[in-house]
Amino acid sequence: MKMTIHEVAQCLNLHVSTIERWIRQGRIPIQKTGNGYLVNESALKKWAKMYRLPFSMPEKVKSREYEEKPENLLSAMNRGGVLHDLKGDDMETALKSAVEHMPVLSKTSKKELYRLLLEREHLTSTGIGKGVAIPHPRDPLSDTLKSPIISTCFLEKPIDFGAVDDRPVFVMFILLSQSIKIHLHLLSRFSFCVRDNSFVEFLKTSPDDASFFAKIADFEKQLDRADT
Amino acid sequence: MNHQLLHIFRNSPLGRETLLQSIYFSKQAKVSPVIYIPKSTKFLMYFENDVVQIDLDDSYLMSPDTALEHATELLEQAGVEPRFLDPKHYTASTLPDIHTNFDYMSCPRSISDLSSKIGLGYIGPRVRRIVKSAQFPVLITSPVYKEWESIAVFFGGSVNAFNALKLGFRICRISGMPLDVFTLIENNSQESYEKLITDEDLEKEMSRYVNNWHFLKNKTLEENLYDVPHNALVVLGAYGHHLFKTFVFGNKMEKIQSTISNNLLIVGPNYTAAI
Amino acid sequence: MRIFQSWRYPANWTIFRLDDRLLLILAAIIVGSCSGLASVVLNRLLMAMFNWFHHLRHYWWVFVLPAIGAALSSLFLEKIVKEGAGHGVPEVIYSVSRYGGLLRFRSSFSRLISSALTIGSGGSAGPEAPVVISGAAIGSNIAKYFSLNDRQRVTLVGCGAAGAISSIFNAPIAGMVFAIEVIIGEWKSVNIVPIAIASVMGTEISRILQGNQIPFTHRLFNINHMDILACVGLAVLTAAASILLTRLLRSMDKIAKKVPAPLWIRAAIGGCAVGLIGLFLPEVLGKGYHVVQTTIEGAFSQGLIIVGLATIAKIVATALTLGWGGSGGIFAPCLVIGSLAGLTYHHGLALLWPSVSWVNQGCFALLGMAGLISGMLQAPLTGIFLIVEITGGYEVILPLIIVSAITTSLCHYIEPAAYYMKELVDYGHLLRPGTDARVLSDLNVSELIEKDCIAVTQNMLLRDFISIVKKSHRNYFPVENEETGHFMGIIHLDDIRQYLFNPVMYDTVFLGQIMNTRVEVVYPDDDLADVIRKMDANRLFSMPVVVNNRFIGLISKGSLLDQYRRELMVQTS
Repeated sequence: MKMTIHEVAQCLNLHVSTIERWIRQGRIPIQKTGNGYLVNESALKKWAKMYRLPFSMPEKVKSREYEEKPENLLSAMNRGGVLHDLKGDDMETALKSAVEHMPVLSKTSKKELYRLLLEREHLTSTGIGKGVAIPHPRDPLSDTLKSPIISTCFLEKPIDFGAVDDRPVFVMFILLSQSIKIHLHLLSRFSFCVRDNSFVEFLKTSPDDASFFAKIADFEKQLDRADT
Repeated sequence: MNHQLLHIFRNSPLGRETLLQSIYFSKQAKVSPVIYIPKSTKFLMYFENDVVQIDLDDSYLMSPDTALEHATELLEQAGVEPRFLDPKHYTASTLPDIHTNFDYMSCPRSISDLSSKIGLGYIGPRVRRIVKSAQFPVLITSPVYKEWESIAVFFGGSVNAFNALKLGFRICRISGMPLDVFTLIENNSQESYEKLITDEDLEKEMSRYVNNWHFLKNKTLEENLYDVPHNALVVLGAYGHHLFKTFVFGNKMEKIQSTISNNLLIVGPNYTAAI
Repeated sequence: MRIFQSWRYPANWTIFRLDDRLLLILAAIIVGSCSGLASVVLNRLLMAMFNWFHHLRHYWWVFVLPAIGAALSSLFLEKIVKEGAGHGVPEVIYSVSRYGGLLRFRSSFSRLISSALTIGSGGSAGPEAPVVISGAAIGSNIAKYFSLNDRQRVTLVGCGAAGAISSIFNAPIAGMVFAIEVIIGEWKSVNIVPIAIASVMGTEISRILQGNQIPFTHRLFNINHMDILACVGLAVLTAAASILLTRLLRSMDKIAKKVPAPLWIRAAIGGCAVGLIGLFLPEVLGKGYHVVQTTIEGAFSQGLIIVGLATIAKIVATALTLGWGGSGGIFAPCLVIGSLAGLTYHHGLALLWPSVSWVNQGCFALLGMAGLISGMLQAPLTGIFLIVEITGGYEVILPLIIVSAITTSLCHYIEPAAYYMKELVDYGHLLRPGTDARVLSDLNVSELIEKDCIAVTQNMLLRDFISIVKKSHRNYFPVENEETGHFMGIIHLDDIRQYLFNPVMYDTVFLGQIMNTRVEVVYPDDDLADVIRKMDANRLFSMPVVVNNRFIGLISKGSLLDQYRRELMVQTS
């Protein structure tokens, strides 16, 4: 197979001028003919092996984070749905009824989820202040989840969640992601929204789905602009 | 990035013309000139496959105390930052080594002979050797400073000519000057040259950069050269399809350089062009 | 057309492409023969000149002869060939170290003529170094003609040198060992075979054209244990002589440079002085092989004092010839000085312990020669093999080894660099393959530049900077001027760590306030050794590379290690 020196340089993970210099000095088995180069791939591989130099085609960088479009809040929230007037007097019951209403999951996974959520609450409260809580399992679910879900639950009446600012919580956002990376990514985007006090006031009005999603879309646009 | 042009400064009125020409070229081609003020008449240039000893003619060492001043003045007048080359390695105490990883080098038609000998038709033997071994194109300046306003490439179809053509595209792109291509039709037809271009996938570039492709039909080359504008930078390859690449450049190249007095940008056999 | 063109690139022919050893062997044959021829030519020239001038010996003005010869030789080199004086062999080693053995074509013949002029007229120098340079230049130019790469060219340069020495002394092994020990500096199997073949060719040419003669024949020596002990003393004496010669050469060089006269007049002055010495001690003139022959045969009749004087006189004469601008080598003078020194020692021994029956003086002369060569060149193997081959005296191998080894060690202790190498070592030009200096000189800053830094401007707020830090993979951020794009300074993440979590600072701090402007920069054409020194002096692990006031990338010790290791692996194994 005919290779160019640039490909050779990539395979050896070296700069092109290093390869050119080695050709001039006779240290690499490539010949120079007038304007071009004669590259024999098998001879090169043998040479690389003899000198213990790594020689491999660089893999097309297919890191998962770039291939999949980074998940955004809107689609996750769409999947998780919005619940209004959730009944519950304390944290446990609120969580239980929220989990019951969650779409997509099977009965056993719901039980599992409830247990994990409680576990997490007992570690530290997920009430991040201003009346907002983000319950989530510490580790991804045993079920293989294909896409992340954020379930928005407006509570009937504010309950004590043991939040950081000791204020009662009126809305819960249950975050379920298939990997920690995605979880962190969504969390970071979400925290950007929650930092805005006007958004929190807006949430207190228990808005309908359309205007809520519109607001989220706005925030997402801001975030996307900031990222580029 | 770090494109440089090597210029060896001669502290004389003739040298001033050459330096002005180099500075103009550098500004057009967006390279930075590096000036070497020689302290001895000899120096060595180690190329990839040859070592060339340059014996400068004595006028290069004239009034060394004012040389730095004069060169700096000319550079600053043109708004170019003065950069001087200080040789770091010496083959012998009077033989400095000048490195050769420049992108261009500019010299007058001869650097080892008296200024009086420099006329049309004469390109000194040292300059010839440099062109032959160098990996960069050599700018042979016209005796008087003249700002060139277009580019003329001589294309004959050989490998060298293709390199010259690509170099022409490049300079056209960077400097924005109009580009014309000149081909002498002897025994071949116009279509055969056009086919050569399509074979190398260069039609896009041809239409993008080239203003006019002149096919010269007069019998001898010399008669055709009047068509080349007097203020054009002429780009051409040193060798054509010639078999023996010794001291003599290609046939056409010799004829061209002895007929026109434009600035010549000569492309040697070791130069690989990138557009 | 293509077929004809490809013969210029034999390295690309199919038979040679996979393994160029055959190609090198064929080229070595050509190179060896050519350099052998060169040495024969010089030898004949010298013999011819000796015959011409012989009848002039009895005139009173004959001492001017070396002056004329030296002046002519200097003029020839300066004006006609425009070579620019260089002490040949160091130039070959320099080129091998740094430029893959590229030598000028004019060096193939210029030194032959100039040294013929110097030595033929009576100057005290040797014809070996000029022939070595000629052979090396021939090898280099044949390599250039065939467009061979650096490694192959260096081998051919070595072949040229080997062919030259083998031919001059009719000593193939000495030629090989000299080329490998002194010129190339590494024993690699890919080098040894072509060099051996070139040596053989050189010797063959010499034998065909000049007959197979061992330059210095001798009688058998009977060595006993007392003599072997005495060798130690001899080693000390030869070491002293070597050091004296080296120091004298250097000081003559310095003195000559201070004389405000053109080169050829200086050469003439040196030549005059030599001529004057020669009036009284004619052994001092010319290459002196006949002196060596006489001493080995044991026919040198003078007593201790004269011999001692002769030794010193020869040292002075050599220093005068070479230091003041004459052209030639030190091999032959070393042989003469060595034999005279050996003789002196023998007479001294005989004086001090007259009862002991020492081996005859010829043997000590032999050993003295070996001592001088080993001391001056600091190449003991070359010394041993040369003496064995030119005298055919294998039975002296034991004391030979002792003398060579001890002299070399003593000289190395006092003068760490051999005569040929001193200049090179002083300027840091002696770059043997696989050494740190060589690897660093081969690597280039442009091969190490890392370009994935994100640049910021001096008027950027800390808040915006933080969003850039989110995206970057590095700890260093170059700051560029907003309008001109010029490099202004560098921000390291450590500098801003303390402010990162203080939101009040986000909108109140400009990057221009926290950047570091007094930062050491590197230029792409800097020597890597200098760059590392800068890094070590300032305890930095990364430095910015700047060209034309613009930042183009970062160079870091981490990537340097990677590259260094690869370079070393490719250079050595």
